Amino acid sequence: MTTMTPKRLLLKSLEAVFLVFLFFLIFGPMVGLVLWSVAIRWFWPNALPQEVGLDYWSQALGFQKSLAIGAVSITEAFQTSMIIAVLVVVLTMVIAIPAGYALAKYAVPFRGAILFLFLMPLAFPQQPVFVNLLLTFTRMGLTSTIQGVVLIHLMVSLVFAVWISSAAFKSIPPELEEAARSVGASKMRAFVQITLPLAAPGLLASAVFVFLTSLDEFTGTFFIGLPFISTLPMLLYASSGSNLQFASVIAIVLLIPSILFMVIIERFLRGEHIAGVG
Amino acid sequence: MPGLRLENLVKQFGRTIAVDGINLDIQDGEILTLLGPSGCGKTTTLRCIAGFIIPNEGEIYLGERRVTNLPPDKRDIGFVFQNYALWPHMTVHDNLAFGLRLRRIPKAEIRGRVDKALDMVRLSGFAGRYPRQLSGGQQQRIALARALVIEPTVLLLDEPLSNLDAQLREEMRFEIRELQKSLGITAVYVTHDQAEALALSDRIAVMNKGIITQMGTPSEIYNQPSNRFVAGFIGLSSFVEGIVTQLNGDAAYAVVTTTDQVKIRVLRRDLVSNQKVTMAIRPEYITVKTEASLPVPENANLLEGEVIRAAYLGDVIDYRIGLGQWILRVNTPAEQILHPGEKVQLIIPPERVTIIPEMEGPG
Repeated sequence: MTTMTPKRLLLKSLEAVFLVFLFFLIFGPMVGLVLWSVAIRWFWPNALPQEVGLDYWSQALGFQKSLAIGAVSITEAFQTSMIIAVLVVVLTMVIAIPAGYALAKYAVPFRGAILFLFLMPLAFPQQPVFVNLLLTFTRMGLTSTIQGVVLIHLMVSLVFAVWISSAAFKSIPPELEEAARSVGASKMRAFVQITLPLAAPGLLASAVFVFLTSLDEFTGTFFIGLPFISTLPMLLYASSGSNLQFASVIAIVLLIPSILFMVIIERFLRGEHIAGVG
Repeated sequence: MPGLRLENLVKQFGRTIAVDGINLDIQDGEILTLLGPSGCGKTTTLRCIAGFIIPNEGEIYLGERRVTNLPPDKRDIGFVFQNYALWPHMTVHDNLAFGLRLRRIPKAEIRGRVDKALDMVRLSGFAGRYPRQLSGGQQQRIALARALVIEPTVLLLDEPLSNLDAQLREEMRFEIRELQKSLGITAVYVTHDQAEALALSDRIAVMNKGIITQMGTPSEIYNQPSNRFVAGFIGLSSFVEGIVTQLNGDAAYAVVTTTDQVKIRVLRRDLVSNQKVTMAIRPEYITVKTEASLPVPENANLLEGEVIRAAYLGDVIDYRIGLGQWILRVNTPAEQILHPGEKVQLIIPPERVTIIPEMEGPG
């Protein structure tokens, strides 16, 4: 054990201070969120809320119905967000899996151009894109519908899903499929029983990513969804200026799926599947 | 009935002609090796037989069936890949059972056949393991078992031993041949390793640049190479060129003289006077004369050369000995030490000098 010279002591202390600082930087806002969600009254310069209670929570979850504190039930917005997210995941994977497979396996002409095309929607500033889409969607009668919002989310998520899917399929040696063909499996069977299970971790990761992206998507949903479609992010936006407590509650609710998926992915991907592939 | 037949097989990739008119007639129960350097077309040919590649021209017959355009799953083949291609997400048992389940074979029978296949490759009891838990050699044997358990019409092997270490490779050569013979299954083997080819084949097709340059038994290929490429690719050879100068005297022999007046006596065969020939001599057939040597046989060549270089190989010493402008490779037992610059006398029996026809062949 080296002796603790003054210099070393100083360095070690600085290291500790830095880590504490990092800790607060990362978890501070979350702590703030939690505090705000249970604060009935909290005025500056108090470090902690003067009065705490679960009123905002029970309003949000629909247990209490009073207009006094300006919080409304978020259950409907939650449902809408979930339905849209699930639809987006299903549609994205239905497109991304075959597309990714084709791009990985075959010498698709204009492969680069196709991938570039998928990337296009994200290459431009969001507001101008969505304003223009609003005009188009209005003409097609898609504004303020679930279909319209789903299409918007699709547009945003497809590129990642296709890239990740293509990468997942590319990582599987072609001999594995050929071996299946050689013992008598048809193309489809080889794909379903050999390729798909091996690509599953990557595909699952991209599905989770698409789900979370859809859940949190705001700008497009705001432009296209109003006035009838209301998602959690839109509710969050609406209340963030005036009702910090309510906004915090929604923010925490939005955080939960992310954290849940992180835990699931860590368990699942750490398990037999990754080891099996390796 | 031939086990497998290829007729004028041609495969082109873009502007490269990988397979340029291959004709092959493989007997039922025979193991034939496609031997050649990288890029000669042997793997492409094998993959055409398997159905992973559809040829541009030509026909492929498995038994009486014309399979040229059939997908791999309809050809009844067994394929062993160079990197084994075991399915990592399935146990050894499931890897073997996969093909059997596709054939709707009842579960009880599947279990029996899987166990039998594992016995065949001496890996009984490994059924529950995953490929990642197996060594390279074990994976290779499972790959072999997987190809055989479905009892295919023909077994195709694509350099299955090249990823194994030298000792394992040697062992597996015999195992593969024994297995093939005991099952009586027609097999096509692809390799660039000529020792492997010589050891396990019934016949060898030496390939270069998309065509078969010579086809024959291992002994024929080794002792009677029909062109320079085969002579150089199989075993080690030294090459000397010259002109047939003397025919009249001896009925059995002829003499070939090089441009720098080195004279070598060879078997006469059907050589004609003034014919240009290339001679190939294998290092193991050249002896360095010492005082203790047996007397030089009559008619043997006794040529004087100078030692240029020596390489110690453990069991022999590999020398480069200069003969005029020519360099001969000679192997001597490890005890016979010669030094660079030393003048030696080489004994070369005429019957060990191979004459390579001076025709325009590939190589």
